[in-house]
Amino acid sequence: MKTHLLFLCALFAARAATAAADAPKPPDACCSQPVPGAAAFSRESLYQIETKFTDDAGQSFTLGQLRGRPVVLTMFFASCGYACPLLVTDMQAIRAQLPAAVRDKAAFVLVSFDTGRDTPAALRKYRTERGLDAGWTLLHGDDDAVRELAALLGVKYKQEADGMFSHSNLVTILNAEGEIVHQRTGLRGGLPEAARAVVALAP
Amino acid sequence: MSFASPFRFFAAAAGVLLAVAAAAGAPLPAGMLRIPAGVYVPQQRSAKDAAQVPVASFLLAEQPVTNAEFLAFVTANPKWRRAQVSRLFADESYLQQWAGDLEPGPHAPAGAPVVQVSWFAARAYARWAGRRLPTTAEWELAAAAGYTTAAGKNEPEYNRDLYAWLARPVPAILPAAAGARPDFHGVRGLHGLVWEWVDDFNTAMVTGESRADGGLDRDLFCGAGAAGATDTANYAAFMRSALRSSLKANNTTSSLGFRCAQDVTPALASVP
Repeated sequence: MKTHLLFLCALFAARAATAAADAPKPPDACCSQPVPGAAAFSRESLYQIETKFTDDAGQSFTLGQLRGRPVVLTMFFASCGYACPLLVTDMQAIRAQLPAAVRDKAAFVLVSFDTGRDTPAALRKYRTERGLDAGWTLLHGDDDAVRELAALLGVKYKQEADGMFSHSNLVTILNAEGEIVHQRTGLRGGLPEAARAVVALAP
Repeated sequence: MSFASPFRFFAAAAGVLLAVAAAAGAPLPAGMLRIPAGVYVPQQRSAKDAAQVPVASFLLAEQPVTNAEFLAFVTANPKWRRAQVSRLFADESYLQQWAGDLEPGPHAPAGAPVVQVSWFAARAYARWAGRRLPTTAEWELAAAAGYTTAAGKNEPEYNRDLYAWLARPVPAILPAAAGARPDFHGVRGLHGLVWEWVDDFNTAMVTGESRADGGLDRDLFCGAGAAGATDTANYAAFMRSALRSSLKANNTTSSLGFRCAQDVTPALASVP
């Protein structure tokens, strides 16, 4: 554990140093930013992207901050009246099936398509309404960030004329390194398999 | 009017030139053409989609990005070289027609459109170049132009060329982008060269849940759903839509390239 912490500290220090060196460059939400210390993340890791999101506490958030934890991630939007509430309920069901030790470590992440309405404040309200505890991370991103993440996950989405979104229903499970290990598609079934995929990540 | 010194004369002359330049607007960035505002009519839409999508005026590259241009990009950005790119961002066939990491070679002539590039790579190039990828609506609006009018579907010659291209296999070595016949707006190769990535390619959903419908994934050029399209004569637009919906962002193919677009900034707004 101690070595892990040391390693993480070193990693953050390295990233901070590189970020400072890169400071004069305009912010680049896309994947074209070199990843500091290329050895840091694997070539399959989603954490290679340094895209900045904002969490529902208003704090800047990069996906790499989830490193070291099993992650259950879904893209959604808060005003969705059909699939999204089911997706969140399904994630809660996955969580309920985890042994306590795994459950406490796992991160449950919701990233909104709705860059306009799902501000950090709106997401904070959603957290309260749905009773989502500290194990949940709710993220807002700009259009570029959301499109890039959707592309990485294989999520298709489109804003309809009425402001709602059509989207794939996809729950993605990432291992500690941010690599996709399992995806549950659609709205029916697949929850025990998803839970097993998370449990399998426990060391 | 007299000038006390040659300097003042030149200053005045320069002032006149500046005034003329301002009246005409700043010149467009090199290689970019202005596409006037218009309306995009999606080929397929759900009951909730708008029938017509207004598109603001924008700038579009005259040509798709060439091998020579992409070489400059990968030279400046090692992580986008063939041997170094992450599989997450480009599949195994990324730039496979090139002879080497920094050598396009005989199968990828300098002036030909670059193909075997993923959406991530295309997007990264556009950002590096200070530009962006066009949206579906922008691309389709521009591509609706014929040779002599903004509505190519009414030009027999345009239709003939378009469908002749769709019927032809992709040549092993692509021709130069500059050799393509310019359309009404002066844009070359929107049809007849390669398919092109758009920024929001992942909005295209042939079914409500494409992911669960595994059969779609490999049917890159399936056009079976054209019966439900708004204009059945526009089979080509349906094919493009079907292609987009079947692509993943790290996919690359031998007939898929891209070109850049740009917003019309206030400084460019007065350019005719």
